[in-house]
Amino acid sequence: MSLTPSQWAALLPLLIPAFGACLVILMSIDKDQATTKWIRGAMYGTALLAVGASFWYLTDLWRTGSQPAFFQLHMDRLAQFTGIFVAVAAALTILQSWDHFHQEGWVKGETLALLLFAVVGMVLFASTTHFVVLFLGLELFSIPLYALVGTVRARSESAEGGMKYFLTGAVASSCFLMGGVLTYGLSGTFDLAAAASILTVQGLTFDPLVLVGAALMLLGFLFKVSAVPFHQWTPDAYEASPHPIAGFMSVATKGVAFIALLRVFPGSFGSLGPVGAKMQAVLAVLAVATLVLGNLTALVQSNVKRMLAYSSISHAGYLMLGFVAGTPAAYTGVLFYLVIYLAMNMGAFGLLTAFGLVGEQTTFEDLRGLGWKRPAMGFSAAVFMLSLAGIPPLGGFYGKYMIFRELVGTGHVGLAILGVIASLVSAYYYLRFLVALFLQAPSAEAERLASDRPAVRAPLAGAAVLVSAAIVLAGGFIQYALADGFAKRAITEGLGLLR
Amino acid sequence: MTWLNLHPLTFLVFAPTVLGFLLMALPHALGKLARLLGFLGALAIFVLSLAWLLGHAPAAGGTVMAERTPWFTLVGLPVDYALAVDGLNLWLVLLTTFLVPLTMLGTWNSLKDRLGTFAALFLLLETGMLGALVAQDLFVFYLFWEAMLIPMYFMIGVWGGDERRYAANKFFLYTLSGSLLWLVALLYLANKAGGFNPAVMAQAASALPFGVQGWLFIAFAVAFAIKVPLFPLHTWLPDAHVQAPTAGSVILAGVLLKLGGYGFIRFAIPMFPQAAMHYAKPIALLSVIAIVYGALVAMVQRDIKKLVAYSSVSHMGFVMLGLASMTVIGTQGAMLQMLNHGISTGALFLLVGMLYDRAHTRMIADFGGVAVKMPIFTTFFMIVTLSSIGLPLTNGFVGEFWILNGTFLSGFQWGRLYACLATSGVVLGAVYMLWMFMRVFWGPENKDEDSGTHHLHSDLNAREIAVMLPVVVLIVWMGVHPKTFVAASETPVTALLQEVKAPAPRTFILTPAVHEASEAHEAVGAAGAHAPEAPTAHEVHQ
Repeated sequence: MSLTPSQWAALLPLLIPAFGACLVILMSIDKDQATTKWIRGAMYGTALLAVGASFWYLTDLWRTGSQPAFFQLHMDRLAQFTGIFVAVAAALTILQSWDHFHQEGWVKGETLALLLFAVVGMVLFASTTHFVVLFLGLELFSIPLYALVGTVRARSESAEGGMKYFLTGAVASSCFLMGGVLTYGLSGTFDLAAAASILTVQGLTFDPLVLVGAALMLLGFLFKVSAVPFHQWTPDAYEASPHPIAGFMSVATKGVAFIALLRVFPGSFGSLGPVGAKMQAVLAVLAVATLVLGNLTALVQSNVKRMLAYSSISHAGYLMLGFVAGTPAAYTGVLFYLVIYLAMNMGAFGLLTAFGLVGEQTTFEDLRGLGWKRPAMGFSAAVFMLSLAGIPPLGGFYGKYMIFRELVGTGHVGLAILGVIASLVSAYYYLRFLVALFLQAPSAEAERLASDRPAVRAPLAGAAVLVSAAIVLAGGFIQYALADGFAKRAITEGLGLLR
Repeated sequence: MTWLNLHPLTFLVFAPTVLGFLLMALPHALGKLARLLGFLGALAIFVLSLAWLLGHAPAAGGTVMAERTPWFTLVGLPVDYALAVDGLNLWLVLLTTFLVPLTMLGTWNSLKDRLGTFAALFLLLETGMLGALVAQDLFVFYLFWEAMLIPMYFMIGVWGGDERRYAANKFFLYTLSGSLLWLVALLYLANKAGGFNPAVMAQAASALPFGVQGWLFIAFAVAFAIKVPLFPLHTWLPDAHVQAPTAGSVILAGVLLKLGGYGFIRFAIPMFPQAAMHYAKPIALLSVIAIVYGALVAMVQRDIKKLVAYSSVSHMGFVMLGLASMTVIGTQGAMLQMLNHGISTGALFLLVGMLYDRAHTRMIADFGGVAVKMPIFTTFFMIVTLSSIGLPLTNGFVGEFWILNGTFLSGFQWGRLYACLATSGVVLGAVYMLWMFMRVFWGPENKDEDSGTHHLHSDLNAREIAVMLPVVVLIVWMGVHPKTFVAASETPVTALLQEVKAPAPRTFILTPAVHEASEAHEAVGAAGAHAPEAPTAHEVHQ
């Protein structure tokens, strides 16, 4: 069968990174890839080119405003938003990986190929309401990530983290599958949008099985966004992963899971009145639990990566509050928040690479005094941490502003108060990062080690950090362009809300 | 130059930031150059602000300068980029632009490292303070209000004393806690009003049930009261003041605390007049407690800087008492007292800093007989001390007198008692300041090898005298002719209080429409619809 140009157009954002991934695998056949500089350069170049091309292609689609489709794959504005989002995350990850794997002495082309396959899965996951395609996307990005977490096989805790992530993730995936199957059994269709209208027509909206199906699907999403109580894998997996991969997981997995959730719950099941309302109530309760547990646990971490993991859990809580508010403006806020969150979290993990922290060396102690030694990185760190804490005039503030505003506007004042208290608590552990960087002198031990080691050079990771800082600052000063021009159009034109 | 003609306030507010980022980019080795450039920049801002703000004749209604343009609409709610200088903030803006270069000069040699970054943060802080003072849109105000925390956090945390990390975190989180809850109230009201224009928000607030208005007022008041700080929300202040470097303490006392009082008079009281009247009495009670408690705690301090910090609690209690009196004279007194406290306490912190730079101790017991070794320093310290006590002919007297007068005439149930209790605070102020002065400066010279007096080798140099002279001039000027400094705020304050006490329906006279509203209300006033007959500040002065 031959494809129409429009169908090709819908498939290209998947084909480009997939093709790139195959090329990288071919290059990585060479055994000396770690030592042969030009092969290494070619692999990273290819990977970067692949995500760059898909970024360029998607922004072009966005500009022209066309929303092509390939059967159940809708490359609409929301999917384009996702593709751009994931491409930026992947590009920052690739830049950071170059320096990080070099520092760790562990360079393998497969990591890049796996990353690119994950990109394919993520775009697929966020561009459909057909359950089978959705599940395909979920597995296509999950399996490479399981492998990536455990990629540094020399470290036992890396394998441990990867295994934990895999086992729990497999259970969540099966629950998700079960939910879809139940919905299919009751409605006779895998297309969730159609299923919702069929269930309404048949008067099955109050059927407990519908509720169970929806709840099981919700569980699958909540696992991926690491909401409490499905969060336990997060700190272990982040700690085990190489820094850039942890950053990528924290940002891209959470991002696409929320976007797919947007499509499924308010998007398709929104018409399923009682089920939608119940899901919103569940989300409200879990958001509270996520905010409280994530923030309180993050307070007591001494390892930066574990702190960032709990911080990423708590950010899932704020984003879930956006779903509780449930207005188009709140969903716009969620997407805006995700863009800023992408930059600040990729930046925060990128700092670890830029500062040259390898292996276990990721405690607050190891950061002491580094802000003054590397002023540009220190400045970026201040931008990321203050933005994560939601201090104006940085991007993170506007994300929280939009979500809390809608929350208050829809009468959830209590949840908004809880949200701001959670932000207050979070300010403490984000400040700890800055305290270590700026307010504490390096320990004598660290000074001695530093003088023994050659100076850290991480130009690409540094560049990635600066790009991230620029995005966070842009989110603070041209927030309306990002929110109204980018996020809002993805919601209104892509999701069809407020059309 | 047309851009500058259209946006003078934008220039004043953001020029320090631009300069600050340039200084931040300078290499470490050029720290001394950065310090000089920072000082010259701040001085230029001061001269410009003086020339522009006092050079323009105020428009009808007291607005000296204003800018208003739609800034952005973020998913629905519009935010206006609205700045204005009017009678309420004119002198606070000038106080800020004055104190920044003065402090930079006064603490020229206090810091040894990272001079460029410090100057840069100082300038960023100036942007935050000026922006918060001139903002006429609550969203913009909130942005500047919060953004101020960041440079101050680093100033305390990096260059502060031994407990600097604890003090910096406490300062940051304490202030943030108030403003985050305030943010929820702000969002609630903005959703009702469809924007952040204070006048529109006030209108929306008046349509709400009184109970809701009360909660909203409390949310506003707590955020501002933390900044003031009003008892019992003052506990961050001694830590922050004592641990901050001298420059940080001066600005903290001189300007940041004023923003709390300013927030009350600019936003909290006019936006929720009914609730403000309702809660005026508890606020007055807390103010009286702050006055007496602050003074008593100051009395027993052994560290001069900590003593000055607690004296701030007491003095700012006077400001809050004046505002809570809801009389023209009391409010005008509070406006003047804010300036007084900025000048006197700022100068006290500078002087303590000068002493500390020489002796490396601030303990009262380590001194004695300093007058013998540093006569010029002692003279300046005496003048500032007397101003802080409120000796007639110095600035402190006028402000406190008006506030006490306003409280006495407020018509509260316990108003007269509050005035009497607060007056004891003036006496206690004399006790702790003079007792400290006596122990540090008079008596036989402390000849102990380890004592602070022993390490004093030089009196004030020309630079330090140059810093103190304008302060002394201002102290006397404000004491002898306070009208210069309160004339601008008389009209808006009078109009505001008429508005607050007027029966519904209200017309919401928030700036820049002060003038029309005040005219509208003169008719009401003539008909005798509003009570207490307090003399205006002007009359009392004469």
